[in-house]
Amino acid sequence: MLGRVIEVRDVTRRFGGLVALDHVSFAVESGEIVALLGPNGAGKTTASRIIAGILAPSSGDAVVDGIAVRHDPNAVRRRCGFVTDQPSLYERMPLRAYLEFFGRLYHVDDPARRAAELAELLGLTDRLDMRLGAFSRGMKQKVAIARSLVHDPTVLLLDEPATALDPETARSLRSFIVSLRARHRAILLCTHDLDEAQRIADRVVVLYRGRVAREGTTAGLRAADRPTYLVTFFGDGETARAALARAGIAAQSVAADGAGALRFAPEDPATGNSAALRALLDDGIRVLTLTREERTLEEAYFAIVSEAGRR
Amino acid sequence: MRSALLVAWREIRWEIFGDRGAVGRMAVFALLPIVFVLSNRSTRVGELTILALALQSALFPALSGVALIASTFTQEKENGTLIPLLAAPVRDIDIVVGKLLGMIGPVLTICVGSVALFYVLASAQFGATRVALALPLPMLYALVVVALLYLLTAGSWVLIVAALVRTSRAGQQIAGLLIGLSLAAFGGLALVAARVADGWALVGLGLALVGSDVVALEIARRVWRREEVLARL
Repeated sequence: MLGRVIEVRDVTRRFGGLVALDHVSFAVESGEIVALLGPNGAGKTTASRIIAGILAPSSGDAVVDGIAVRHDPNAVRRRCGFVTDQPSLYERMPLRAYLEFFGRLYHVDDPARRAAELAELLGLTDRLDMRLGAFSRGMKQKVAIARSLVHDPTVLLLDEPATALDPETARSLRSFIVSLRARHRAILLCTHDLDEAQRIADRVVVLYRGRVAREGTTAGLRAADRPTYLVTFFGDGETARAALARAGIAAQSVAADGAGALRFAPEDPATGNSAALRALLDDGIRVLTLTREERTLEEAYFAIVSEAGRR
Repeated sequence: MRSALLVAWREIRWEIFGDRGAVGRMAVFALLPIVFVLSNRSTRVGELTILALALQSALFPALSGVALIASTFTQEKENGTLIPLLAAPVRDIDIVVGKLLGMIGPVLTICVGSVALFYVLASAQFGATRVALALPLPMLYALVVVALLYLLTAGSWVLIVAALVRTSRAGQQIAGLLIGLSLAAFGGLALVAARVADGWALVGLGLALVGSDVVALEIARRVWRREEVLARL
């Protein structure tokens, strides 16, 4: 990590009487992928548009690569690549002319060379002179990504980039995003796809009704406040449960193939797990495995959102 | 300004000349002078008739231009292609001016071509001397200026409509209404002004139109700010 490239500082954005963002703050570092999660209307798109310099905050500020959006939005736009869920291409233009046009808008030194480079990077070289209207949905989204990279931006803002893509194209898009992280880009990924976020994001910011409901590393969010453990064994389930109860550990039976399984959540795993194992072995239970259970990001997300909804 | 020219060039190259339908529609307007001349076979047409026909040759392509301005903006909103443009380091005014230039440039060229074609055909049909008397060079300039003024005035007001509506269909409908109303107002005011103060009122009318253009363009610039456009997308 090479320092904060995106800083959202206490940003509020109102549309008339509607508060889309309410004192939101978070940051993205260089070489980091942060997933911005939240239900529809949570403020993800508004946040990404403010960072991209196409929407001014009502209060607060967003700073990109040291430049405040309020101070110089054009300089911020020069540092950001922005991809939306819709490719939004000029369909009468061929790929080459399209990328060159945006290259010129972004003052790229040699737009023709850059267009050829990007086409090669995304495997579209043989389609450089084809009209964009003839491209498939997946190819159009690749073109939108190429457009966002035409000026080699420090920051990449991806708003639902994999929407409507087939699994293969979505997978290759994920690999491409990860390869950009290796090139020290700061990437903000607004997505509903929790599986995608779990696979590639380093950190997660959950927005709910315009506020930050939770922020943390993907692993940190997946870890519950009190972790649960699963012990599998050969032997009678009731005997095993009674053994744990004698050790002061409440356990639940869990369905498992060919073996017994109990789930428990010790107050202190360091002592609780040892006590549980000792109690089971003393009662003649043959323990197979003892593993810490992790929530999926999806489970963590729903827990966070439901907690935020109750507040 | 460089960005505005880039936007304008893209409009002309890919949205007008890249669209066979648009080229076909424009070709129809280029044929109008032929229709006007052929529909007046009499060799005794007066200078006023020649002037009226020349004015029609100049204004008809301008009418299509106003409809084109309405559709170019609403289509960008409808297709979402405005977002990447707004995300680029381009000032709002460059986008508006670029798109206006991209539409007005080709349409005005067609207006000039249409008047020139009318002049040649009318000279052959009604006699070169009569046409030269009815349409001296300053008058030809005036016709083109009138077409430009009309394009700017109606185009600017249509631009405001295009920012406010969500679909290109609604944009086209309101633009059509505006075209009709503006043409009636334009023609009526010109007729009245031509009879007042030896035609000097026409100059006043021209200045009033320029004033109206400035007001309309300022309103258009405000409603086409990123904030406003995004709020309506």
